[in-house]
Amino acid sequence: MMRRVANIAVLLVAAFLCYGMQTTTPHYADLTAPIPVYGKIQDTILTRTFDIAVDKVVFARTLKFDQFGKQNLLTSGGVWAIVTARLDAADRSAMVAAATWQGPDRLNYRTSERASSAAGALPIALDPGVPGRTRLVFEILPSQVSGATLLVSGKLAGPLDSEARIALGSVATQPNGLPEGVTETYELGDTF
Amino acid sequence: MSIAAQRTDETGGQRTPAERRWWLRSLLALIVLIPAALAVMSYDSVREFLGNRDFFAKEVAWGSKARFGGSDWQLTDLRAALGRADIPPEVVPVLVDLTVTVGETDLQTLWLGCKVMLVDAAGRRWLPTAAVSFRQTDDAKTCISAIFSSARSGDVLKIRETFLVPKDATATIRPAIGVASERPTFLLFERPRD
Repeated sequence: MMRRVANIAVLLVAAFLCYGMQTTTPHYADLTAPIPVYGKIQDTILTRTFDIAVDKVVFARTLKFDQFGKQNLLTSGGVWAIVTARLDAADRSAMVAAATWQGPDRLNYRTSERASSAAGALPIALDPGVPGRTRLVFEILPSQVSGATLLVSGKLAGPLDSEARIALGSVATQPNGLPEGVTETYELGDTF
Repeated sequence: MSIAAQRTDETGGQRTPAERRWWLRSLLALIVLIPAALAVMSYDSVREFLGNRDFFAKEVAWGSKARFGGSDWQLTDLRAALGRADIPPEVVPVLVDLTVTVGETDLQTLWLGCKVMLVDAAGRRWLPTAAVSFRQTDDAKTCISAIFSSARSGDVLKIRETFLVPKDATATIRPAIGVASERPTFLLFERPRD
């Protein structure tokens, strides 16, 4: 009798363990996800292939830049976020190919295709010891401005490779929802 | 055979000497089989890993040729190109000239993944840059364009690549070349002797 009860108990425990393992199995995409390297604005963050330090973040209503000898004005229903950062290759020539603005509500914005022909846009090729710069332009919702995180990686999809995650800090908001200190027109010049 | 020499297994049965011998043999076989299984399973990954990497340097003395990817490679020049106003002063454009005597002509297979590099004493590696270019007065090609030049056996190709290197590295940089058909081995050239 005791033996039978013990057998049933072992069976139940085994079933419970199997169920637990099944429900907590990480997805393959999570197992091979990028490896985060955390930092904040102004820090130099060392990833496997490149170093990055965010200089500043500027918000604007309109972007202005020259494309094929013609001046372009880019308006937005949201707001433009312009991030400038210093880059350096680690120990061999490297690429920086992808950046994502992750808002406080976990909305993810890739760099805007509309401004991808301006100077400093990704992808950027880096050489060791040769300082590089990038200017990332995102078109985002005003509600995603404060408490955002900038994700920067060497490849568009980089499984098991390091990814810089930079906390951009909180930004005060005006009554109309736009961030404090938003500029009306930001010019994407050749130097930045 | 005495009863004392026999062991009792978990089910209470008796093991015969023959069973015991096989039990031991199986146990010993695991010592060989488990590492062997790991080696077989990881073989492809290791080969892929090494096949993507320039790992083992094959030294080439200044002025001499080396057989690599079916052709003979020789370093002919390594020089800095100074006096460009659009480049910051702490950065130096460096030009590497290689002369290749084509042997086997299937360059699209043999030279696949062709990569000319600069390696400095600290182990840093530079790839060719697209940020600066110089007007070419001769028929120099890049490694990639040479692949598609339909060169015949015996042809002599001039390959030139441009790099951007910080000033502090220029004293020790050495040119190197890797191709997929030879990886993980790559050629590491001695610096030009004056």
